[in-house]
Amino acid sequence: MSSKLLTVIIPSRGMLPMLEQCLNALGRSLEAAGVREQSTVAVVDNASHPPLPPKRIAAAGAELLRLDAHHCFALANNLAARRRPAKHYLLLNNDVLVQPETIGEMLALLERNPQVGICGARMVFPNGSLQHTGVVFGPGKQGPYHLLRTRPSHLMSRTDREFQAVTGACMLIRHVLWQELGGLVEDYPFGLEDIDFCLRARQKGWRIFCCQGSESLHFEAMTPGRAKLDEPSRALFMSRWQGRYTIDG
Amino acid sequence: MPNPKITGIVHTRDSAATLEAALASLAWVDELMVVDMESSDDSVAIAQRHGAVVHQIEIAPRIDGVRNRFVAKASGDWVLVLDSDEYLSDDAPELVQRLIAKQGQKHDAFALPRYNYLGEQVLLGGGRHPDYQIRLFKQGTVLWPDAHHTLPVVTTGPSRLWDVPPSHGPHIHHRNYRDLRQLISRQLDYALTDMYPDDPGSFDFAAYLARAHQQMAMRSEPEADGDLSQAMALVMAWDAVMRGLIHWDSLEPRPPLNMLDGFPRAAAQVPRWEIRLRRYLGRHLALRHLLKAVLARLRALLPKRG
Repeated sequence: MSSKLLTVIIPSRGMLPMLEQCLNALGRSLEAAGVREQSTVAVVDNASHPPLPPKRIAAAGAELLRLDAHHCFALANNLAARRRPAKHYLLLNNDVLVQPETIGEMLALLERNPQVGICGARMVFPNGSLQHTGVVFGPGKQGPYHLLRTRPSHLMSRTDREFQAVTGACMLIRHVLWQELGGLVEDYPFGLEDIDFCLRARQKGWRIFCCQGSESLHFEAMTPGRAKLDEPSRALFMSRWQGRYTIDG
Repeated sequence: MPNPKITGIVHTRDSAATLEAALASLAWVDELMVVDMESSDDSVAIAQRHGAVVHQIEIAPRIDGVRNRFVAKASGDWVLVLDSDEYLSDDAPELVQRLIAKQGQKHDAFALPRYNYLGEQVLLGGGRHPDYQIRLFKQGTVLWPDAHHTLPVVTTGPSRLWDVPPSHGPHIHHRNYRDLRQLISRQLDYALTDMYPDDPGSFDFAAYLARAHQQMAMRSEPEADGDLSQAMALVMAWDAVMRGLIHWDSLEPRPPLNMLDGFPRAAAQVPRWEIRLRRYLGRHLALRHLLKAVLARLRALLPKRG
């Protein structure tokens, strides 16, 4: 395996200006955590037409992997993890602007807790309301949902907290766990492969936390065509997992 | 059924600057051949580092005839040919195998779509995309005529060739030009080294001016390629004028240039309808290919003869 500490994987279908902002924020956060040199940032161009420009991606401090056919989110991440192995993987959406403290806090949480395999991040919408502070599960068809989504940020404590799942929009994962589970399941068109991964990790005895120390910005669902892929993904997820997770009180 | 064996072939001549990317993108093929024409840079060392079987040959006037000799040496069931300034995507192994598995029974050769880059920008206008290239084929089914820039021939017939729709992938990624300066330099090089007819009586400078007019009118597609499209149209128009002057300069005795007479005659030689039609087709290649695909399907519905 590579001696790198961290590979950040960012799939992107077009959206270059957004991606560049994402990479700029990520660069500042890697610097602040003191892990810039020990990290690889891999942008996976998921069949953008025209392709993403390699020099602009390189200028933003990232390597470019190019996919000519449009693949699911899981395959894009799995391919990048295979090509750029590291001790930890950070799955990051191209519409997330991480705070300078975020990566350092997430890495420190994993370092402190060897039994924690996955760490998520607290994120807010541009208007300051909560986008993600952890994923909880409702009864029946409700299934997984983001706790306190769109509610004012001050309603959620700043204490790091354990969950059954966190979003893959900004998710730090240990390599050993990634290997143990064989990466993300590629059956999901787009969405909920991250929650599937978390539940499988819990079955193996790993714990999952969400860092609440800093608030990154997440615009959410910016990828064109995303909405129409959500429904089949949710149907698949529920057929596999309904009744197998704990309903959060 | 096991995956068919694939041989990758790359021709090189002082290709060190781009070869690394080309060979790295072919790391998955079963057999890799590099045919090198007396490179004085690191091309051979790079090829060896990538585990390629290197064939050294003398500099040939035309690459096309040479291709056939080395395709015949390939041990793969299928052959994949790349130029040294081209590369494939990271999902190419899967896409190529999928393409062969799904379409390989019905077809002997595939024309792959190609992205052409000028610097960082992919050129999409003026028919530059999908820019089909016959590069993936069953051993023994494709021949290159021994001539400059001619298209290879599928020996089992055109119906055994399939233009792979761009949405299916894989693409060839072609780093044509580092920048506009390199394009200008290469065009001038081609113009200076090209052969021109030596009969002064048949020289007509207006024909060159007409080509320049045609280039400016038809190559410029700002909707597809922005300002770069206009810059390229100007370069190609300039190229036509330069060629006219180089041709004129090579004649003995030099005929009259008649530049001022040439302009109105040149404009008249290119009908406006032709300019409009070519522009339309250039901008709507996707529509053209869609129609082609519909026609092919309708043809498939017709009862088969014999």
